[in-house]
Amino acid sequence: VSVRAATTTAAHARPVWLERVRHRPALLLALGVVGLLATVVAGVVFGSVTIPVGDTLAVLANRLLGWPLDRSIPETTQTIVVELRLPRVLTAMAVGTALSLAGATFQGLLRNPLADPYVLGTASGAALGAAIAVLLPIQVALLGLGLLHLFAFVGAIAAVAVVYRMSRLGALSSLTSVLLTGYAIGSLLAAGLAMTMYVAGSNLRQIFFYLLGSFSLASWPQLAMALPIIVFGSILIFSRARSLNALLLGEETATHLGIDVRRDRLILLAGATLVTAASVAVSGLIGFVGLVVPHLVRLVVGPNARLVLPLSATFGAAFLGLADVVARAPGELPVGVVTALLGAPFFLYLLRHYRTGYEL
Amino acid sequence: MVVLISFVRKGNAPMRDKTHQAPSDPCGKGFFHAWRALLTILALIAVGCSAPAAVTPRPTVAPSLAPTVAPTLAPTAASVDFPITLTDDEGTQLTLSEEPDSIVSLTPATTELVFALGAGDRLKGGTDFDDFPPEAVGLPDVATFTGVLIEKVVDIDPDLVIAGGNNFTSAADIDRLRGLGLTVMVIYAPTVAAVLDDIQLVGDAIGASAEAQAMTAAMESRIDEVSGAVASLAKPRVFYEIGNEPEIFGPAPDSFVANMVELAGGDAVTTTDPAVFSIPLERLVSEDPEVIVLGDAAYGVCPDNVLSRPGWSSITAVRDGDVRPVDDIVVTRPGPRLGEGLAALALTIHPEAEIAAPTAGAQLCTSAPAASPSP
Repeated sequence: VSVRAATTTAAHARPVWLERVRHRPALLLALGVVGLLATVVAGVVFGSVTIPVGDTLAVLANRLLGWPLDRSIPETTQTIVVELRLPRVLTAMAVGTALSLAGATFQGLLRNPLADPYVLGTASGAALGAAIAVLLPIQVALLGLGLLHLFAFVGAIAAVAVVYRMSRLGALSSLTSVLLTGYAIGSLLAAGLAMTMYVAGSNLRQIFFYLLGSFSLASWPQLAMALPIIVFGSILIFSRARSLNALLLGEETATHLGIDVRRDRLILLAGATLVTAASVAVSGLIGFVGLVVPHLVRLVVGPNARLVLPLSATFGAAFLGLADVVARAPGELPVGVVTALLGAPFFLYLLRHYRTGYEL
Repeated sequence: MVVLISFVRKGNAPMRDKTHQAPSDPCGKGFFHAWRALLTILALIAVGCSAPAAVTPRPTVAPSLAPTVAPTLAPTAASVDFPITLTDDEGTQLTLSEEPDSIVSLTPATTELVFALGAGDRLKGGTDFDDFPPEAVGLPDVATFTGVLIEKVVDIDPDLVIAGGNNFTSAADIDRLRGLGLTVMVIYAPTVAAVLDDIQLVGDAIGASAEAQAMTAAMESRIDEVSGAVASLAKPRVFYEIGNEPEIFGPAPDSFVANMVELAGGDAVTTTDPAVFSIPLERLVSEDPEVIVLGDAAYGVCPDNVLSRPGWSSITAVRDGDVRPVDDIVVTRPGPRLGEGLAALALTIHPEAEIAAPTAGAQLCTSAPAASPSP
């Protein structure tokens, strides 16, 4: 909130294009939506198999809009477009939305610029759950969802639940203790994960690739399970955008503003945890997006959560969707590598050229 | 909702060997938070990703209950009529309505096998680490270290996909391929004898039963020849070095490699546990191998390097200079050249044995020693 005053003095240092979009969030949102559509198209057009763009679009139009196919397209092409690429790009976008929203929420909730979706132990909890699932000698397949996804989801939620109970985040407790509790629980779970990996034998590779994160096995059933959870969690977060703004001023001020701090914190935490858990369950651990996308958005439009949340959701989706397209190009690069390679230089550019007084 | 519960060979696999898991180098591909970086390092150490041996994929490894078993030929009809129903090594039944016209192989061993059975022209996709026969190198790559390129397999639309068991091909990839309607046969041989059964199984599946029968018969007689030649010789304690970075990697007890060493007339020095693949130098020194076989010779480790390793000088093999290279790929790859690989290994352990020279495998470390491995 104090950012505005600080930045006007530095206005001359900002690139012109940034200054133009800064006061037009609607324009930014429209840009984001165009970006989303472009991402969907790119996501179905590019892949390890080269398919003519016309064929791809014809298949899409046929399946989504019911347009008749005006040419004969091989069955395999249709399978690749509809069963492999479409769910993949949509999953990447859903996860991008989820992680960006969760990152924005945790950063606001904890008033910590280094908070990301994994800050309260979600990542370690999910990873340990996944690793245990890999080691169990049973395999449960439920609509394409394995034990791994289930355990990762449960592990992520359990980790945050424990952190919440132990730090009594519900009360007006110090944020430092919450963060440190999260760190301690996370470390404990990470040790459990390392131990599990040590005894994993030939299953190690599976755990390893889960930790890298990937969308290469995305499918419709997986998306169908994850999407409702992500949508529900996102609604929870959006419904408390005002509280998120108030909490940035401190718990006491927020209380004086008429916010039920205890309840709203819990709702925000639940929403952010749900979307993060659903994401890590389907895609593994993908870093950078949740940390940096909210910052990128704040650098441009300022700290108002009512703008930061929708814009983070939109740009997070487009960014992760495109990063996954790039990741497919050389075979299958871990998508987390691409997000950092593409995002970090841009982030540094904004940090350097845009605001001098940037705070949450 | 359909809930499907099946018991599969997963975490309780009787035999594991991680050395086959890292055909290419995943090191350094990550951008993580600090704790994730730590975990990555742990993972790579455990996989032995920087160990030279990890460069070679080896799908099979498991314990042999009877190391000296003489493999028996499965009696097979002279020709197999399609449709045929087969049971793969994970117990999955698959039916092939006709002889497969297009085949995709997801392991280098099965790629080699399909070529050796005379069906190389029907092979439409392989892995990025196929290296034999030379024709296999040019196959479209549909599997890499990071997994199967599902899209490419679907595009090929093969009649038969041959995958590697025990996580060589990940279970998730196999499920996905089957979910897309493809016929996937999972091959996994824990012992030398099981390799011969697998050759017959693949032969039956691709309509080359007779060729497979001839091949296994020839391999069996070669294995018998080798076992016979070394039977009367003293069994030296043999350490088969799979890799030496960042730790020393050797065969686990009852593993495929240990099985090969026993068949080649050696007493295998192994790690302490079937799930452990690194061996502390302390243990190696106290086990005191009389012969050290360098399976990592293909990756630049030669006897000269070993002789100068600190702490190794008290080992009998090092003191006596009985440190010898072998072409790891023919020894550990469960394919058609395994009989020759066994002969090569037996001659490495017993240079004096009367065994016909192997017709497969490279001569390593013959000229100037390759670049020395990092400390």
